[in-house]
Amino acid sequence: MDRFPNHRILPYGLVLPSLTVIIAFLIIPFGQAVYQSFYRVSPFGRQLRYVGLRNYLEMFQSPEYLSSFQNTLIFSVLVIGVGLTISLVVALLTTQKIRGAAFYQIAFIWTYAMSPIIAGVMWSLIFDPSIGILTHAIADLTGYRINYFTDTVAAFILVTVASVWVMLGYNICFFVAGLQNVPHELKEAASIDGATSWQVFWVVTFPMLSPTTAFLIFVNTVYAFFQSFGLIDVVTQGGPNRTTEFLIYKIYRDGFGRMQEGQAAAQSVVLFILVAIVGAFQIYTSTKKSVYNR
Amino acid sequence: MSRTKRSFIITIVLVALCIPSLALAQTTTVEFWHSMTGSRLTVLNSVVEQFNAINPAQQISPVLIGTYEEGLTRFMAAYPVNQEPGIVQVYEVGTQAMHDSGMIIPAYQIPERLGEEWDFGQYVAPIVRYYSKDGNLWSWPFASSSAMLYYNADHMRQAGLDPDKPPTTWQEMYDMGIKLIEAGVVTHAMSTGWPDWMFETQLAMHDQEFANMGNGREGYPTEVSWPSKFTDELMAIWGKMAADNVWIYGGAEYNANGAFNSGEITFLMQSTSSLDGVLNTVGDNFEVRTTFLPRLSDEYPRGNVLIGGNSLYVSNRVTDEELAVIFEFFKFLSDPDIGTYWHKNTGYFPATNAGMQALMNEGWFAESPNHLTAFLQILSGKSEGNAAAGMRLGPFAQAREWVRDALERIARGDDQRAALEYSARQINQLLADYNEFLD
Repeated sequence: MDRFPNHRILPYGLVLPSLTVIIAFLIIPFGQAVYQSFYRVSPFGRQLRYVGLRNYLEMFQSPEYLSSFQNTLIFSVLVIGVGLTISLVVALLTTQKIRGAAFYQIAFIWTYAMSPIIAGVMWSLIFDPSIGILTHAIADLTGYRINYFTDTVAAFILVTVASVWVMLGYNICFFVAGLQNVPHELKEAASIDGATSWQVFWVVTFPMLSPTTAFLIFVNTVYAFFQSFGLIDVVTQGGPNRTTEFLIYKIYRDGFGRMQEGQAAAQSVVLFILVAIVGAFQIYTSTKKSVYNR
Repeated sequence: MSRTKRSFIITIVLVALCIPSLALAQTTTVEFWHSMTGSRLTVLNSVVEQFNAINPAQQISPVLIGTYEEGLTRFMAAYPVNQEPGIVQVYEVGTQAMHDSGMIIPAYQIPERLGEEWDFGQYVAPIVRYYSKDGNLWSWPFASSSAMLYYNADHMRQAGLDPDKPPTTWQEMYDMGIKLIEAGVVTHAMSTGWPDWMFETQLAMHDQEFANMGNGREGYPTEVSWPSKFTDELMAIWGKMAADNVWIYGGAEYNANGAFNSGEITFLMQSTSSLDGVLNTVGDNFEVRTTFLPRLSDEYPRGNVLIGGNSLYVSNRVTDEELAVIFEFFKFLSDPDIGTYWHKNTGYFPATNAGMQALMNEGWFAESPNHLTAFLQILSGKSEGNAAAGMRLGPFAQAREWVRDALERIARGDDQRAALEYSARQINQLLADYNEFLD
């Protein structure tokens, strides 16, 4: 029965610090968010007024919220899908036996060291509607002048491309490590059995990579939902017409810019539920399907 | 001398050495939250340093708190938990919110509370009008600005236009823009900073109210006064300018300055506070001139441009010692020398009439006529009426976001009336919420 014989208290003592942190910085604030989501704060925070489900009802009736929800989902799918595909291709190429493979690996990975703010400034300058170098190049080539200050599609693509680029180094890094761990004998055995390199990849390498892939999908989901914040704040501030105002950025804007704490709290509860579902699903699939036994 | 005696003396000396720092501890320091970024930050810090050098017992500690919007939100969040600063710089958008907040001492009561007197008549009249409630100043005038039109005189010459005759109406702006584009001088002729503020300014310039209840100056407004015939006509020409590439939408705040400074566009509508930044960046590359903002037509009466920029508010929880420091600092800011220094290095108006006079006497406006444009524009405008004085809205910042939203749609070619109607509905909802939850 006793999992830790002779140590009845020590295990509890050891988890106490992290429990304290989790309770103080995660559980209690979350409880407050749930509480606040049923209230409206008067414009200057002097009083809370109970409004029942009004914050939730208005949220789901608001076209701005629904389009933010939809845009966040499209953005996440693109960041995860496009980002991971490119990363895997680059990782495969740089782990080939080519001259200077280590150089290419580092060249692709180092961008992760760049802060998202700097990356954001860089991308927004490259595509600045008036002075951007690529804006000019594209206008000269095609005659079409991109203005991401007004063009909602251009702004969305810009933010997506920049986000994929920011995460590229991190993803490649893990894929390279994962690929180096795929035992060479297995691939060799498969080719001796007559498998083409394409078949070797799909039947041997890709399944062996599944723990890495599952992990990266989770990390990129978290990135798309939460950490894209810094980049968006620098590049578009949620505009134009709130196209890039993804859920996390909308919570910030509503809560801290528009002084609508109650509405922001309701949104953060919904976002929590959403991410909890995604997280649970990923933990379930990654522990079930990943090939851990070598 | 015995050992104990010696150590006793050393202790005394050490304690004595500590006394100066005890004296320093009696210094009253007041925190000052502001949002002055870029070249304005250096100028502000230098002003504060000059003040701090006068009396070591009275110190101001400036803290850059982020954007105006963040500064306002942080003040509102800090007050309930006793973390607010003595002085906070708030942009004009926050005026009504600060008045309603119950967190501040109205500026006119500061001298009274200290048993002193102060002549508020010394401040430039349009600024006083903007920040007054029932005839009394509620915030201390500091960095005021208004919008004006910057233009590239070299571009005008290249397109065969007369640089002495910049556009005075939107139709002229459109015609000149087309000429500039056809002459191959630019691909887009005009852009603007703060598009939402430009919309508000156009309303005020034509003596049109933004919202009901006397533009929010006679009570809490319940709805905006547009779309109207005026906004339809204004948006029609703005929409036409966007469609024919005369107007390129330039983002929310200062992004368009880069396009103007690098000679990509000919006309820039921007705050006067950008003047020194623009002049320094452009240097000798081309001739920068400034003029009044274009109007729609003389069919509408003349109003005035709006005051923008910011003013200073004082927390109502400061002690009398702190308030004395704050009052000294405010008096220092009202000094003509500081006013002229501030104006020359930032482009903001000096807040006092004496400051203006000093600038004129030393020949500054003859030397740099671009620094005179904004004054002439605002002083030549109408000085009475609610529309020209500027609107008061509780949820002003949020309302502004919806105005910008509509302008972004219009710049993209969406239906103008529908875009304004949608934003108007959203703002009316915000106004209703504000009035419902105001205690």
